Amino acid sequence: MTVFDYIWLGILAVFQGPEAFSLFGVAISMTIVMVLSGFLLGIAVGATPGLAGPMAMAISLPILISVFGFSPDALLPVMGFLIGVMKGATIGGAVPAILFNTPGTPDSYMTTLDGYPMTRAGYAKKALKIAHFSSATGDTFSDIVLILTAPFLALLVEAYLDLPEKTALLIFSLGFIASVVGGSVGKGVISMGLGLLAVFIGTGEDFYPRLSMGTQALAQGFPIATSVLGVLVLGEVFKSLDDLWQDRRNTRETQAPTQAADQSLRWSDIRKLLPYIGRSAVIGTAIGALPGIGSTLAATMGYGSSARRHAAKRPEATQFGQGAAEGIAATEAANSSVSGANMIPVLSLGIPGNAAAVFLILATESIGGFNPGPTVFKFTTDTVNPELVMAFGLFTIMMIANLFNWTIGGAFMRVVGVMARVPKHLLLPVVLMLTLTAIYVQETRLSAMWAAIGFGLLGYLMRRVGMSPLPFVIAFILGDKLEETARQAFAATGGDPWFLFTNPIAAVLVGLTLLVLVLAIRKPTEIKP
Amino acid sequence: MKNLMKTVAAALSALVIGSASQAADWAPPGPVKLMIAFSAGGGADTQARLVAEALEEKLGWQFIPEQVTGKGGLNLAAAIKDEPNDGSVIGMVVTETLGYNMAAANAGMTPDQFTPIVTTAGFQMAVVAASSKGWTSFADVVAAAKAGEDIRFGTMSPKLSDLAYLLGKANDVEFNIVQVRGGRAVMDGVNAGDMDIGFMAGIQRKGVASGDLVNLASALSKPLDQTPEAPTMADLGVDFVADGYFLFIGPADMPEKARTALADAIGSVASDTSTKAGALIDSAFGGATVFKGAELDALVAGGYSSAGALLDAASE
Repeated sequence: MTVFDYIWLGILAVFQGPEAFSLFGVAISMTIVMVLSGFLLGIAVGATPGLAGPMAMAISLPILISVFGFSPDALLPVMGFLIGVMKGATIGGAVPAILFNTPGTPDSYMTTLDGYPMTRAGYAKKALKIAHFSSATGDTFSDIVLILTAPFLALLVEAYLDLPEKTALLIFSLGFIASVVGGSVGKGVISMGLGLLAVFIGTGEDFYPRLSMGTQALAQGFPIATSVLGVLVLGEVFKSLDDLWQDRRNTRETQAPTQAADQSLRWSDIRKLLPYIGRSAVIGTAIGALPGIGSTLAATMGYGSSARRHAAKRPEATQFGQGAAEGIAATEAANSSVSGANMIPVLSLGIPGNAAAVFLILATESIGGFNPGPTVFKFTTDTVNPELVMAFGLFTIMMIANLFNWTIGGAFMRVVGVMARVPKHLLLPVVLMLTLTAIYVQETRLSAMWAAIGFGLLGYLMRRVGMSPLPFVIAFILGDKLEETARQAFAATGGDPWFLFTNPIAAVLVGLTLLVLVLAIRKPTEIKP
Repeated sequence: MKNLMKTVAAALSALVIGSASQAADWAPPGPVKLMIAFSAGGGADTQARLVAEALEEKLGWQFIPEQVTGKGGLNLAAAIKDEPNDGSVIGMVVTETLGYNMAAANAGMTPDQFTPIVTTAGFQMAVVAASSKGWTSFADVVAAAKAGEDIRFGTMSPKLSDLAYLLGKANDVEFNIVQVRGGRAVMDGVNAGDMDIGFMAGIQRKGVASGDLVNLASALSKPLDQTPEAPTMADLGVDFVADGYFLFIGPADMPEKARTALADAIGSVASDTSTKAGALIDSAFGGATVFKGAELDALVAGGYSSAGALLDAASE
């Protein structure tokens, strides 16, 4: 068995798997049908504010398993569907972000900053094309990196990052986000602090539910759906409704911007965007390979680094936040390039890099026959290592999904361009209802609805005082992980309270956090959400 | 199998008589709310949902699954406590929920406030290391610790942390005990080298079979199925064990008829490997272990009363 034999067997496993139906005498494998259905569902879900890829994956996984069962044959179709949803949702998320200033998924929040101004300037379709091109490029790049480096890279990263270093890395991420997002470091830090406060309610290791004030509703903590969707989506809906009402009171007509006639994306445009896409794809891929840090941070960092460079190198061009095509490209390339790279820790260590990867791991765990971990990449020559064949099968699935992305993904984006004409007073209630429904699907408790509305009001107030909700959301997502890792690092070092400073890499990361904060306070940043 | 036959017979007689309501002595008064104390999509959650699915198919009962996670099942316990006890609300936890967790939390709940219905499967709880560490027995770990190496011991509940502490104490070494959430996290930590050894409740099966992981000791009162030669806790000088089972519970004082009917129905699905639920239990948890009735009452009562002794021993 050579490496090429393994690759070939992996490809065959996808194309010659259980047959779904035959077309003109050619058997179409179930796996490919599942990748396509997952991809289409993913786009629809991503384009719907209030639904996100991981949510759709969470709901479909139990159904898929009851349909396909637990035999190893089930692995590729089920994983194909989930990977399709994951990739579809990433590009779908850009659609409402660009057209309605409402991010479809948390990681497309940055896309609203330049996407929506472009829509208002009459270039909605062009903005969608840029998002699709950047997203598909970033995704494909990331998958290629995954295939080339999966066996080696995660093992290296894991070897150098021990628990204290991981804690320091999370602190650095939070510090970085709080300082660079939004016009004011103070507001960023407050937003982050509120996020940490919210996530610490009812969680923790102790049996007593902390900060719950004795109520059963708070004892379980706030589910991710209520807080993230509440602050990000409901907050935006409330603010838009308020804007609408203010506008009407001022007897101003709210009308959709007239769209320009020429919306084509030319080679000259693409050439200008390529450096931004390239930088973001590298950032996204690097972040995706680190366990525990997801696409939202990648999008923020991709956008942030490009924004600074753009302002310095091309001060005469349209700046980020005012409808710069480069802003969309930087964000979408970064968040899409996470999905391939986060399979590196998944496949070689069995550790999820983000929420979507969690469900991929859960799928392999429930089905069996594929045990993500270092054994997957053992190239045995005398016998066949079936897990390695599966790994190459998964790589094939990712490339097929990319093919769908380049072809159908683009067509889909052009189709939904017409949605820009839907008037806001009709759309907002629909978005509101979809979001509340989505939260209820996840959390079938009425208390979750009240919590979501509460977070919506918080998001509304934050927008009114000019505070970015993003540090809140990221702190909410990483807070649990931060507490857990810090607790573990403390225990693992035998109760050393200085674990952040006694390990050189951790100490450097903590130093960098302080440096970023100080620099951001001294000089106002260019990013304005 | 016997229960299955019984049910089949009952179903056939129902056909003959022509009325489903007379099929069994008891049927739920409406759709049954099934609370699940495990996060959605995991092995335990899938097990609960598949059991519900099989019962819907077989008996026509309806289930509404709902996640009530957190605090080792105590959140579920608090939520189910005041629900109606007519069999219309049941929940799936682990025996530790009504045992150590309830005793340690001291949150004003006791096992008397619940009706244990039936267990489905037991844990194959073991002390596991990555084989790359080169340890083949627990004695090797103790020797390494005595030679001055810091040993990180991964656990997934306060009870297991206590056991890890006592294991160290009995062998004159001190472990750096790292408590994480769920067996999956322990296995990830051991595989990634963040931890040296850890407790795993059956998730290690495949890794041990492929030679990547090694079972160093059984944390049960009996030897492990997979590695019978590994010493038990008693062999290592610890008087406490981590035997545990997936457990269906209801609110207190559930009518005997409802309790028996539910226990029989769930137990038969769990033991029947031709159902999806039974197949999962067989492949992931090494087969069904069904306790019900008086036997289960004794098991739950024993778990709660021995928790105090473990707490005392660990705080000495």
